[in-house]
Amino acid sequence: MFLAWNEIQKNKLRFVLITGVLMLVAYLVFFLSGLATGLKDLNRESVDKWKASGIVLTEESDKSLYQSSMSIEQLDDVQADETAILGQLSAIAGNGEEKANVSIFGIREDEFIMPEVTEGDAFTGDNEVIADSSLKESGFIVGDELQLSSSEEKLKIVGFTDKGRFNASPVLYTDLDTLQRVKFGEGAQTNADRINAIVIKGDMLDDLINDEKLEVVEIETFIENLPGYTEQNLTLTFMIYFLFAISAIIVAIFLYVLTVQKISMFGVMKAQGISNLYLSKSVIAQTFILAAIGVLVGLGLTLVTGAFLPAAVPVSFDIPTMLIYGSVLILVAIIGAVFSVLTIVRIDPLKAIGG
Amino acid sequence: MTTVLELKQVTKTFGSGHKKVEALKETDFEAKRGELIAIIGPSGSGKSTFLTIVGGLLSPTSGEVILNGQNVTEMSEKQRSHIRLQEIGFILQASNLIPFLTVAKQMKLLDKVKKNNMTGDEIEQLYEDLGIGELRGKYPSDLSGGERQRVAIAKSLYSNPSILLADEPTASLDSDRAYEVMELLQRETKSKNTTSIVVTHDTRLISYCDKVYNMTDGVLKLYEENA
Repeated sequence: MFLAWNEIQKNKLRFVLITGVLMLVAYLVFFLSGLATGLKDLNRESVDKWKASGIVLTEESDKSLYQSSMSIEQLDDVQADETAILGQLSAIAGNGEEKANVSIFGIREDEFIMPEVTEGDAFTGDNEVIADSSLKESGFIVGDELQLSSSEEKLKIVGFTDKGRFNASPVLYTDLDTLQRVKFGEGAQTNADRINAIVIKGDMLDDLINDEKLEVVEIETFIENLPGYTEQNLTLTFMIYFLFAISAIIVAIFLYVLTVQKISMFGVMKAQGISNLYLSKSVIAQTFILAAIGVLVGLGLTLVTGAFLPAAVPVSFDIPTMLIYGSVLILVAIIGAVFSVLTIVRIDPLKAIGG
Repeated sequence: MTTVLELKQVTKTFGSGHKKVEALKETDFEAKRGELIAIIGPSGSGKSTFLTIVGGLLSPTSGEVILNGQNVTEMSEKQRSHIRLQEIGFILQASNLIPFLTVAKQMKLLDKVKKNNMTGDEIEQLYEDLGIGELRGKYPSDLSGGERQRVAIAKSLYSNPSILLADEPTASLDSDRAYEVMELLQRETKSKNTTSIVVTHDTRLISYCDKVYNMTDGVLKLYEENA
């Protein structure tokens, strides 16, 4: 630490530069991780809110809520601690001024997927809906009449709930009858028993159903199969992992150049009997100091930027994830320093005497 | 006077076959406490080889090096590194000092890596003896050549090593500074009762030394002994 810190103090500029590079990499990593979390939330927050363990879909739907269609009677074939039926329809809803892509959930208000109302009231009568609060930011308010793209029916917003987005669309929660009318129009009567899925709570997911046309999907698997979800995540995760590799290489190159410049000095020190261990520890300590400062400043900068971003940008910072990424960054920086350590170990103190 | 360093039939050859170079022919050598010894000779004569073997940086091809009763030739690199740290003070031509440490911190570093540390008063005394007290807050780049060499000597004297090895300590200095450095080495060798071996090709310096050896083509011969 002694050597490491004194060198940093003496040669501020070069260490500020490398810390700056690390800071920018950390900033990018944190921001991408925020974006990844934000995009995840966009897709899954309404599902996470259920705190469900699984969802029953038809086997032929291939884990897609949109393609799954079953009869309400099939509920009898599902033996779970708790169940909730779910009908779904994607539509465009407009209040005359604004239009939004929405997902309409038909549910029963006494079942566990019923959302908590944060503003206004819960739906009670026909065609009343609780809307996700993100619609408020798009200009929708309680009392709005909504025209739908696929139906003559008009829906009325009676309340809002938070964290109600599904697969990047805000959700309108309503009762099953309303959904059927919107979904099937004149055929609503004949299709009154059609639902998309049964959401279940309980520990055991095996042997819950005795209908081979149905399949129990774990909630995490269900989310991963949402259109675009996994692809989006993999892209961002891949970028983050790539940044880890880049920062390791940047640190490796930078420290290696610094170490090569100091070969004669290390040679003299080794000739004087200062051990490899001491010198190596010094380089590692130096890397740790630089990386830690870089990561901390990057973290601060990310949070500051996050506070000033418009709500439309889907960033949401998950502090534990960011702390893990920060630690990984520091760790890979130290791995980058290993090259320099190897160089130091290989320096022949004899060279210092000049043979 | 006690013998500090003893070389018994030490030889060093580099390479093999027809490329074989005998850098050091069979050499016996002895140094006692309080002695300032100079080894002179042209470059390529083998005097640096001699110094590196004495300093435990290079293993001899045959023979034994005994420092303070310990056989250095039989030691592992790690043990030799330890011996260098605790028993030997090196003064090298240049860059002996760490560029990013002030004079005081150069000492502090030794304080951290060595065992039998000097007390604050002893360090003060050392600063005073070498006339570098004023320089303690300065970086090596702010020092003159002579000042740098004085600091290097102070470093090598830290915690009283058994032996001081100096490789061309006056190489980059003008005559006055060179004499000053040699006077200092002489004084410190006597007052600390240590042993100093100075390798140089500068014959002006030999008047300061108790013994002068001449190295020619790997053969070490006693050249002059000042009583």
